[in-house]
Amino acid sequence: MSPEILRLIVQATADTVLMVAIAAGLGTLLGLPLGVFLATSRRGELFASPIANGLLGAVVNATRSTPFIILVVAIIPFTRLIAGTSIGTTAAIVPLTVASIPFIARLIEGAIREVDQGLVEAARAMGASPLQIVGKVLVPEALPAIVLGLTLALVSLLGFSAMVGAVGGGGLGDLGIRYGYQRFMPDVMAAVVAVLIILVQTVQSLGDRLARRLNKRLRQA
Amino acid sequence: MTIPLKPDSFAAALPLPPGQPPIIRFERVAKRFPARKGQSEVTALQEISLEVPRGAILGVIGRSGAGKSTLIRLVNGLERASSGRILIEDEDVTALSERGWRGRRRATGMIFQHFNLLSSRTVFDNVALPLEIAGADRDAIAAQVTRLLALVGLSDKSARYPAELSGGQKQRVGIARALATEPKVLLCDEATSALDPETTRSILALLRRVNRELGVTILLITHEIPVIKEICDRVAVIEGGRIVESGDSFDVLTRPQHPTTARFVEAVTGVELPVGLAERLRPEPQPGGATVLRITFTGENATAPVISRLSGTLGIDVNILAGRIDAIAGRPFGSLLVQVPAQEPERSAVLGALRSLDLRTEVLGHVA
Repeated sequence: MSPEILRLIVQATADTVLMVAIAAGLGTLLGLPLGVFLATSRRGELFASPIANGLLGAVVNATRSTPFIILVVAIIPFTRLIAGTSIGTTAAIVPLTVASIPFIARLIEGAIREVDQGLVEAARAMGASPLQIVGKVLVPEALPAIVLGLTLALVSLLGFSAMVGAVGGGGLGDLGIRYGYQRFMPDVMAAVVAVLIILVQTVQSLGDRLARRLNKRLRQA
Repeated sequence: MTIPLKPDSFAAALPLPPGQPPIIRFERVAKRFPARKGQSEVTALQEISLEVPRGAILGVIGRSGAGKSTLIRLVNGLERASSGRILIEDEDVTALSERGWRGRRRATGMIFQHFNLLSSRTVFDNVALPLEIAGADRDAIAAQVTRLLALVGLSDKSARYPAELSGGQKQRVGIARALATEPKVLLCDEATSALDPETTRSILALLRRVNRELGVTILLITHEIPVIKEICDRVAVIEGGRIVESGDSFDVLTRPQHPTTARFVEAVTGVELPVGLAERLRPEPQPGGATVLRITFTGENATAPVISRLSGTLGIDVNILAGRIDAIAGRPFGSLLVQVPAQEPERSAVLGALRSLDLRTEVLGHVA
């Protein structure tokens, strides 16, 4: 493999990591409150507002059922509005973020719903406000599950990022298709796949380890 | 379940300060849950009138589904009354807003059957939680938590997580947490129902200490009569959403008026006839046979040497079939099944002697 190609792989890896990291960061920033709201706004719950819950749920479902490649194209005007351009690695962050928000929101909703309702009742009995219940009980108690969910989201985003080559987004997927597939360079393809495997493995094992460290439930005296 | 008594259980209950207004008062409270899809309206509680004296331990006993969980949650606003009034320290809380309740709840501690400790927090941080919620500063929190962990005997477990503790230890953390904001009232929701008898006893002893030493009024709900017997000054029996009987624990348990109470009491204070004898029991006197009596001892006469006195002074043989002596709210209580001659004048002499000793005597039947 020529130094040129090697440089391309390094660059593509950096692009992928950057896109995924920023999209996951923004996705968590927006998906966390959305997920918490979805998990606490049904009838009789902490922030009971069944109508808002239903509407947001429908939007989340609609976004999640749109195939990612179609989403990328469909929101091009929005991407241009945010990023100033609709092509390139920076622009690709916009559809990745948009796709990750509902995904992460649903994962966080699931994690929060797993928290024992008895803890919510105990916190209410202490005079906690709904926001205190979220901040001091729901999120800390759900944290191990949230970390596992975010790990899953990161791995999925790595997969999504391969498709943003369609709008000129760089990254490993793009490199694999243009060099490995279209130019018949199997060694580039193999290298791209190897780097992706290493990335996924690293993310997954770090996520697992962190979740295990945060989980205080299984310890025995 | 039988809880063996420690000698100190016989120590007399503290007299309640007379004339003080009750700390909690229910006035004809009802709670209905509105009809939902596929379900008609449910009436959980009706016509509840109850007073919890300041400084008392009041136990509400009932089977599951009787409405006791709803009842206890009305006191800290986790449930709202549908009608009637609830007064806490003479303040009508029935119409309090959710925000208004938050302040009240900080003056009311609560412990739970399943402890409800945060698994992600250490013992220390669990006890600190109500103080954090109330906005206490770090130094005040540290001092208070240290003091409370010492009170419940868990100073050495401060840095442990709940998963590393036994059930009894978890409930001790629950009690420390409930006392963190120095409440005047402690609500106990089946606090010992998930614990074994030995642990139950130690938790009840701790609750009694909290009541006597810190002056915290305790309202507890349970389905276990031993809990009432062991620590409650007063008891209310709830059945089908209504209070069917209430009063001083000793009176209610020794003279149950309602069938539900009688069933609860039977298991603990009752003495059963030996199996063979129960079958031979006849309602009418049998010539040359014997009469079976149940003698109930309460208060001071519980320890009087009644049987030996009967045999000694009357010269009549009294055959003891079964017996039991126990304590309710710290006062001794006994029950004895005896067999005495059915023929006169011996029978009347025995009954007369028992009556003159002011003992409750019941004729259960006759045997040949």
